[in-house]
Amino acid sequence: MNELAIIVFAPLLAGALAWLIEVKGIREIIGVIGAVLPLGLTALLYQKTSEGLNFAVNVGSFNLTFGLNHLNWFFVAIGTLVGFSAILAMVSTAKNSYEWLFALMSLSGVLGVFLASDLMTFFIFWEIMTFASFMMVLHYNRAASLKYFLLSVFGAYAMLIALGIIYAKLGTFDFGAIQQAMYQEAYATAFGGETIMSKSESALIYILFLIAFGVKAGMFPLHVWAPDAYSETNQSYTALFSGVLSKAGVYGFVLLYVLMGTRLAIEFGAFRSATKFGYVIAFLGGLTIIVGGLLAALQEDIRKLFAYSSISQLGYILVGIGVGTALSIQAALFHALSHALFKGLFFLIVATIVYRTGKTTFADMGGLAEKMPLTFAMAFVAILSLAGIPPLVGFASKWVLFEAVISQNLPILGGMVFFGSAIGFVYLIRFVYAVWFGQRPTDLDETKDAPLPMAIAMAILALFNVILGIAPGLVAKELNKIFGKEVIGGDLFILDLGFGKYNALAVTIYLVVGIIIAGIIYFLGAKVRKVPVTDTYQSANPVTMEYNLTIRRNFFLPLKETLAFWLRISFDRLYRTIGTWVEDLAEVMRTYIYNGNTQSYAWYLVILLLILALWGV
Amino acid sequence: MIEIALKALFILIYATFIGFMFMGMIRIVTARIHRRVGPPIYQPILDTIKLLSKKSNITHGLIYDFGVIYALGATILAIMFIPLGNIGVLRAYGDLVLITFLLEIPMLGIMFAAMSSGNPYAGIGAQRALLTMLAIQVPLGFAIVALAEYYGTFSTYEIVMAQQSMGWSITALPLLFAAIAYDLVLQAMFGKEPFDIMIAPGEISLGPMVEFGGKHMGILQIQHAIALFGETLFFSNIFLGGAAITIFGSSILNTIATLVVLLIKQTAVLLVATFMGAIFPRFTIDQATRFYWKWPTIIAALGAILATL
Amino acid sequence: MVDWRLYEPLINFARKRSMWIVAFCTGCGGIEMPPLATSRYDFERFGIMPNPAPRMADLFLITGYVTPKTLKRIIITYEMQPDPKYVLAHGSCPLNGGVYWDGYNAIKHLDKYLPIDVAIAGCMPRPEAVMDGIQKMMELIETGKADGWKRYKENYEYYKKNQDELFGEGWREKTARRWIPWLMDKKKEVREE
Repeated sequence: MNELAIIVFAPLLAGALAWLIEVKGIREIIGVIGAVLPLGLTALLYQKTSEGLNFAVNVGSFNLTFGLNHLNWFFVAIGTLVGFSAILAMVSTAKNSYEWLFALMSLSGVLGVFLASDLMTFFIFWEIMTFASFMMVLHYNRAASLKYFLLSVFGAYAMLIALGIIYAKLGTFDFGAIQQAMYQEAYATAFGGETIMSKSESALIYILFLIAFGVKAGMFPLHVWAPDAYSETNQSYTALFSGVLSKAGVYGFVLLYVLMGTRLAIEFGAFRSATKFGYVIAFLGGLTIIVGGLLAALQEDIRKLFAYSSISQLGYILVGIGVGTALSIQAALFHALSHALFKGLFFLIVATIVYRTGKTTFADMGGLAEKMPLTFAMAFVAILSLAGIPPLVGFASKWVLFEAVISQNLPILGGMVFFGSAIGFVYLIRFVYAVWFGQRPTDLDETKDAPLPMAIAMAILALFNVILGIAPGLVAKELNKIFGKEVIGGDLFILDLGFGKYNALAVTIYLVVGIIIAGIIYFLGAKVRKVPVTDTYQSANPVTMEYNLTIRRNFFLPLKETLAFWLRISFDRLYRTIGTWVEDLAEVMRTYIYNGNTQSYAWYLVILLLILALWGV
Repeated sequence: MIEIALKALFILIYATFIGFMFMGMIRIVTARIHRRVGPPIYQPILDTIKLLSKKSNITHGLIYDFGVIYALGATILAIMFIPLGNIGVLRAYGDLVLITFLLEIPMLGIMFAAMSSGNPYAGIGAQRALLTMLAIQVPLGFAIVALAEYYGTFSTYEIVMAQQSMGWSITALPLLFAAIAYDLVLQAMFGKEPFDIMIAPGEISLGPMVEFGGKHMGILQIQHAIALFGETLFFSNIFLGGAAITIFGSSILNTIATLVVLLIKQTAVLLVATFMGAIFPRFTIDQATRFYWKWPTIIAALGAILATL
Repeated sequence: MVDWRLYEPLINFARKRSMWIVAFCTGCGGIEMPPLATSRYDFERFGIMPNPAPRMADLFLITGYVTPKTLKRIIITYEMQPDPKYVLAHGSCPLNGGVYWDGYNAIKHLDKYLPIDVAIAGCMPRPEAVMDGIQKMMELIETGKADGWKRYKENYEYYKKNQDELFGEGWREKTARRWIPWLMDKKKEVREE
């Protein structure tokens, strides 16, 4: 039980120490130790998860309880692995100890969210996590951080109101107790008995939780904070930010199912083999996939492209959660893992590029594949994983998700998911062409490869991508333990869903055999000679390096023209307009009511006393 | 073990040979439509031998070579999963979604190799090829969904077996819609007019292929042959009934009969695509995208929704 | 590894029956290519196909007169083709200047700058004459005598000296730079020499 305390509080203590001790070398070591401890402990605690650990801290009048079971362990494993890689990369890119403090604090917060076993602990650590990530964004850009802060606070207040309703009705925060109470209510509704919470109240709780977790996870209308917040911060931190913190939103949705799922299902009924409340989540998730993906293809800034890509991938996870069967929730969790792995890797690659070249827009880059070969190899692995190419882990999770959604007879969601995987190809090719290939601008001629800590961090994530892709049975076994039954069958290399099978080992072997055959044909031909990038066919005009011929801006102009009608709708503008209205309203109130004029205040006092006197107080 | 290796080798050689015959068939049929004589049907084999025997080749870097090899490797991987009568090597794992993904991977490999040359024509070609692929995903997705819902299984082999008893897929109305949408998608996957904007000979000097020469182009010709074979085989299996003949006593005669029946069906698909390709000029990329997101999507979505009822 | 000389007959058969032409119509003779490609004198039955990318093509038809401006592009395209490559001079202008024998800006002797395998005289030769020339080219390939590319590689200094004499040394970079202001600043005045 003490291990749980170490897992949750070690990063926070390490961050505080690193902030206090300003010495450059020691600060990094303390920070990395703070991130390694949770990782090691999580690995060691794997054996004990079946027993269910517990740990409680008494703070005043209530307890902060933490517990470890299979579902928690899965998310904590994702969190510590990606968190460790991100902190390791921050050794090179962190600018000052302020960043160490808040990065580690947010890691601590998210681990607390995952390990919490009552709602008050959940909320407190949710706030710590949001606060720390807000401070990280504030350091770089105030407007982006303000947008993030407002939307997060809006979600957090929604969660607080929902918490309040639950406490008022059920009198407890503990997850186990709430789950029991909800089961009883579900049966009571099903058999026509008395319930503590009425239908409208449970609908209200559902909507409030939907807003709260949707903001964090970047669901469709509430995603506007993500592109700015993910871009305007330390990019190694964004690996943690988008890889792990968004999973807190996913964990919240899973928690919604665990706690209230039965109640809401019976209360609101089903919509064509998925529950109604789940279908709302899934449909919004599908819209997120499409909107995030299409906007990602049209961006000019590397960090924004990957930010929109993160939003798009989270849409997949939400579709899986929304459909609601055991298989689809497992598919969603599998995709959460693979998304954390490949998106963490991508943001580390972006961090390397930004750190070494100092530039962030596509128009300034080009031809980096020769100068940064290690980073390019990592980018190759990450690209294959995100595009969903077997045998990497991205394909395994997308395959399970696709089959889970279609086997539930939901054709529109199936079409949206399929579309999303094609969009993945599109913006990845944009990234590869503009950054790694083509003519190199002269000021990038001395770019060096990734520094050692970042290289190690990237290698760790890439290794997990490949291993879990070739042996997806490892992940399937863990997921089956969460549900207690064999939902995904098969052994280490095969995923067997009953109506479809995927053999990762066969795919790998035959791919290698195919590449060998192609290689044999290749080597039987004449030898090649390398030509410089200027020796290329441009209708036989001679080419120099002085004029740039690589298309880096507006690469997808035809797509922008095709979507011109839809791009005029923008939720970002809607929120800004609402913000301006609120400001205007505040201005009006300040001019007419709170106008700093002592006489009007005296009038207010008199009127108030008169009303109170008439009321008989 | 040896048996599997022999079967795989047989499939590979058969696919390559028939693929080349298909490419030659496209050229000679187009020529006859133009009232010309046309090249002999084994012309692509001569082209490939000529390309592979070039005495000097160039490269633009490691990815340029590796992308082409990867494309061919992925195509070989793809055909191992499609059931070919009763010789299919991995047909128990031939999942609809897996095969669809695997048939798109070679394009990614070719894009990588083409873009590493830094040629702007290759860049534009890659952009157009990707947008075409994006455009075809929507009707393709709905067609696959319609199939999976109608048969209740994702395994291609089981769909073929089900068709032996229930008749061809296109006799059922939802699947007829899906087949029409998928046939329009096949035009873009083969790279034939009116959707050959990604190749666009003469307009952007063959787009992604502009810097490929010599043995790289030879490998790409082999890849195109195997991809043609694979895509027509997939369509015949899922919509036109496939073939699993067991009436003869000896298994060799059964295999030969199955291959002949499949060959006839594949040739029919190819001829439909060639006829369409000979008539139409080329669409521009935004016309192609708008077309695919309008009519084939509506037809395929109708098929998918009808299949779930 | 494998001794490819054993397969020379097959490879030469493949090379002669699948020549791909670079789709670069150099001069006024470009008008003679469509009649060859259409139904009456169909050259696709010999496997010849026009191909826009020089990296995949082996036959270069120099159709008609050649000016220095065109010659620069022809040389750049010719050097991009992989070996073995063949050049067919089409018309009288590449042979000895043709109708422009006293022009100041037409190249009179193309053979000084680029190796030619087969030459077809005529001001524009009729399609039957071109078919005859293609037959001769196929014969030369079959007997292994189509060695323009070998000549280019072995006598590269001779060809390079002639090219540099005509254009000036370092003509590729100079030509490329001359066009950059036009491309970038949209200046419409560029004098090409």
